[in-house]
Amino acid sequence: MTDDDLWLDALLDDELDAPASLALQRRLAAEPALQRRLDERRALRDAIRTQATRHAAPDALRANLMAMLPSRGDASAAPDMAATAASRASAPASPGDAQAGTRGVPAGAREAQASTRLDAQASSPANPRAALERRGSRAGARRRMALPWLTGFGGALAATLCTLAVVDPAALGWRHGEAMASLQTAEASEAVSAHTRSLLVDHPIEVASSDQHTVRPWLSARLNFVPPVTDFAPQGYPLVGARRDVLSGETAAALVYRHGAHVVSVFVRPVDPAATRAAEATRVVRGFNVIERTQGGLAFCFVSDANPHELRTLADLVAPLTGG
Amino acid sequence: MQDDQGRFAASVLPHLDAAYNLARWLVRDGHDAQDVVQDALVRALRHFDGFRGGDPRPWLLAIVRNAAFAWLGARRSGEVDFVDHEHELDAALAMDAPPSDPESLAIRRAERREIDAAIAALPIAFREAVVLRELEELSYRDIARITDVPIGTVMSRLSRARHLLAAALRPDAARSLA
Repeated sequence: MTDDDLWLDALLDDELDAPASLALQRRLAAEPALQRRLDERRALRDAIRTQATRHAAPDALRANLMAMLPSRGDASAAPDMAATAASRASAPASPGDAQAGTRGVPAGAREAQASTRLDAQASSPANPRAALERRGSRAGARRRMALPWLTGFGGALAATLCTLAVVDPAALGWRHGEAMASLQTAEASEAVSAHTRSLLVDHPIEVASSDQHTVRPWLSARLNFVPPVTDFAPQGYPLVGARRDVLSGETAAALVYRHGAHVVSVFVRPVDPAATRAAEATRVVRGFNVIERTQGGLAFCFVSDANPHELRTLADLVAPLTGG
Repeated sequence: MQDDQGRFAASVLPHLDAAYNLARWLVRDGHDAQDVVQDALVRALRHFDGFRGGDPRPWLLAIVRNAAFAWLGARRSGEVDFVDHEHELDAALAMDAPPSDPESLAIRRAERREIDAAIAALPIAFREAVVLRELEELSYRDIARITDVPIGTVMSRLSRARHLLAAALRPDAARSLA
């Protein structure tokens, strides 16, 4: 195990911050052996994600959970099977249980310390662990600070979770999908992570402008492809700006639109035209709606907590399937 | 009270598959995994007051993971004396093994059964990292919280686990899994 492997894994796992990620991209471009190693690790990762069994909860377990809820008053009054399970396991509630729920404050204090300490080595790309701990600490701090203004967003998310609770798990294609779907889902999942992160960081937008004639040149100067950039304010989807992001280890353009209270990220990256067919996939990933579309040599990924219909309206504007 | 139940259901139900999947991979038996998850749910409900928002999935999976380890401990199942095991792991990780030949990471096309077997054969600390990362797609930070180790350890375990999986799935390793 080498430090390179830690870096490559962190890149595949979408755990590097933007500067570290870009630094590694530059190394990959210059070192074919390193790129090959990344490809192999990605192949392994994809094989596991698409092939390994995700065990779905048996119906009986689900039913027992539902039966357990009405007797909330006294934990010992939990239904027979659950009580039996508890006694058979005869495991006292471990400190970990309480920890999981109550560690917020002290952990936060520790993080603050760690953050200060690690920031000293922050700009050194030679220490992936420090970079990660730092990134984690900051993400945590951001999350806490971001909570007040995320309340509305969280409410929408909670509503989505409630909805998911009553639908057949099979509806969540990412749990029971076929191999190909799972592979695409890995990308959708990365897109959702990037979208979520953009909502939590201080500067989700590198170029803030509703003027497509400002955004487009900015992107084309920094990317090796030119994504379509149009302001759809008249249709109710004003362009907010754009940034660069990294998906599946590749640099992508991220266009940011707003629709009502919802933020929509549109990730665009070039795909091999030979392998391209007009394709579309729609799914729900961790409560976000995701629409993936391949059109004209570009792969589009729309991510938002807006409802699927609203998201599709934007998709039809940005990348109409008719090719029009 | 009714609100609490509704909140609990809304928080936990969407993650029941994730909870079962983790338990199933840790105890490696469907029936035992059901018992473990039910035990965990009883604990989760009891401690739900302490859950103050945020993502419920890592919170729930941490409880499931504790329940699974308690179960394994009570069964004195081989894997088991986690403390001793952890020592071996640390030793292995500290060795700083020489980088393997890059070519050796190439894997053959493996079938579901083979990949499942390779994951099931991993030491439990590696196995849980792989399951949480590749099957549940959790962040390093969440995995660190669930397994109660630093993020750096999560990285090391994942990297090490991927080496072991690649070794198990190498073309010349076909027979060893049969």
